[in-house]
Amino acid sequence: MAKKVLVVDDELDIRVFMTTLLETSGYKPIAAEDGQQGLEFARKHMPALIIMDIMMPKESGIHMYRELKNDPGLKAIPVIIVSALSKKTFFHSQKVLDEYEGERVPEPAAYIEKPPEADELLDTIHQILG
Amino acid sequence: MKDTILLVDDEEGIRKVLSISLADSGYDVLTASNGEEALGIFRTRRPPLVLTDIKMPGMDGVELLRKIKQESPDTEVIMITGHGDMGLAIRSLQFDAADFVTKPINDEALEIALRRARERIWMRDKLREYTENLERLVTEKTRQLVESERLAAIGQTVAVLAHAIKNITGGLKGGMFVLEKGIERDDKQYLSQGWEMIKGNVDKIANLALDMLNYAKERIPDYRLWDPNRPVREVCELMRPRAEKCGVELEMDIDPDLPEIEFDLEGVHCCLTNLVTNAIDACVDVECSKQVKKVVVKSLQQDDGAVIYRVEDSGCGMDEATREKIFRMFVSSKGTKGTGLGLMITRKIVEEHGGTITCESQKGRGATFTIKLPPRGKSAAVSRARQCA
Repeated sequence: MAKKVLVVDDELDIRVFMTTLLETSGYKPIAAEDGQQGLEFARKHMPALIIMDIMMPKESGIHMYRELKNDPGLKAIPVIIVSALSKKTFFHSQKVLDEYEGERVPEPAAYIEKPPEADELLDTIHQILG
Repeated sequence: MKDTILLVDDEEGIRKVLSISLADSGYDVLTASNGEEALGIFRTRRPPLVLTDIKMPGMDGVELLRKIKQESPDTEVIMITGHGDMGLAIRSLQFDAADFVTKPINDEALEIALRRARERIWMRDKLREYTENLERLVTEKTRQLVESERLAAIGQTVAVLAHAIKNITGGLKGGMFVLEKGIERDDKQYLSQGWEMIKGNVDKIANLALDMLNYAKERIPDYRLWDPNRPVREVCELMRPRAEKCGVELEMDIDPDLPEIEFDLEGVHCCLTNLVTNAIDACVDVECSKQVKKVVVKSLQQDDGAVIYRVEDSGCGMDEATREKIFRMFVSSKGTKGTGLGLMITRKIVEEHGGTITCESQKGRGATFTIKLPPRGKSAAVSRARQCA
């Protein structure tokens, strides 16, 4: 059975692109529009991989990521972050939040800056899912 | 270089003795036996120092001093006075003589007087040099500063444009990818989705270009008498479908009794469109999951005849830092969705009318943008002055 991949992005263009990419590469994509829906779908569908944006409405990507990693049932799911935010900025924000909240949230499996290239994204997905 | 000195005395003996003594001290000595001759030599040779007898037949020393100072205030003139010439000596000081030495001339006194005069010349030259240098330095630094600010502004503009274009190309590439998959697999859904993405991004680029053109365009505003409520009605009608689609209630609260004022209809229309678009965007920005999504466009008149347009939204508002930045070039608070051109264009138009635009907002409390258009006449003067500047 095809592996489920959850795509969380508020931009329709990105969702369409990613789900098409996943579908045509033999995965079963599930799309969510924001962090809240993203968490809901993650719990419901238990995907093999989550590809998510950071700057999103409602539950922002940063919090969704931390919630994923703090949830015993979800923390094992690998996460690829695809964001317009530079990698440096994201990692810095994580460090600051780690210190502030006195916890250590693991780094995502991969970080890709927007706009994502089909090949790069697919290579990363293959690497992570084997 | 040797200093040149013009020695003027009607007594040949004194001329002879003094010129030897002055040449001995290292001066290049010119001599004249009367005021007229001295003035002629002075005009051709322009010596920095003049040593003149005060009492001479014809043009006397004081008259010569006055003429020289008139033509060349920086020339230092030392007067030679005899016994009983005190009155003349004092008058010569009033005409800005450098000093006076009394006959019989004591070499040492003359040397001191000359040295002081030379120092004055030197100090004046230095002062002038410093002042000129300083002025040049200020001019140069100012030019550099303006240039670097201009470059910084261009750099920022280019960076933001590059970012906006990169986003759109990203969307286009994504659309092409989906479209290609549709062609490969003969899949109608992929085809139409990919096509929609491409169309949407082409629209985005067209809008970006349009915004840029609008900003750069030196449109001459067409000021005419209009009902100030006309652009409000037009814009609300135009924006209603969009508001409805986004689940935003768009309300119009106009003062029906506004007198006609002179303004550029197209310009104000553009301003209100920008503000209402922003207000709707702010309401749908899901960052704030406010229940009530409402935009109110108001018009009213102030006592001084100025017309006020107010666009209020129930969105998530802005903090002070954002509020300060939003009218600046290419600062957008909409993330990848905005270019920051809209408010800049709006402000440009309002200012062309001699009006003002302000923003009141607090994080979490919505935002109110207020445009104030002065009654025309005043604003015409402002915009004319601006064109001349």
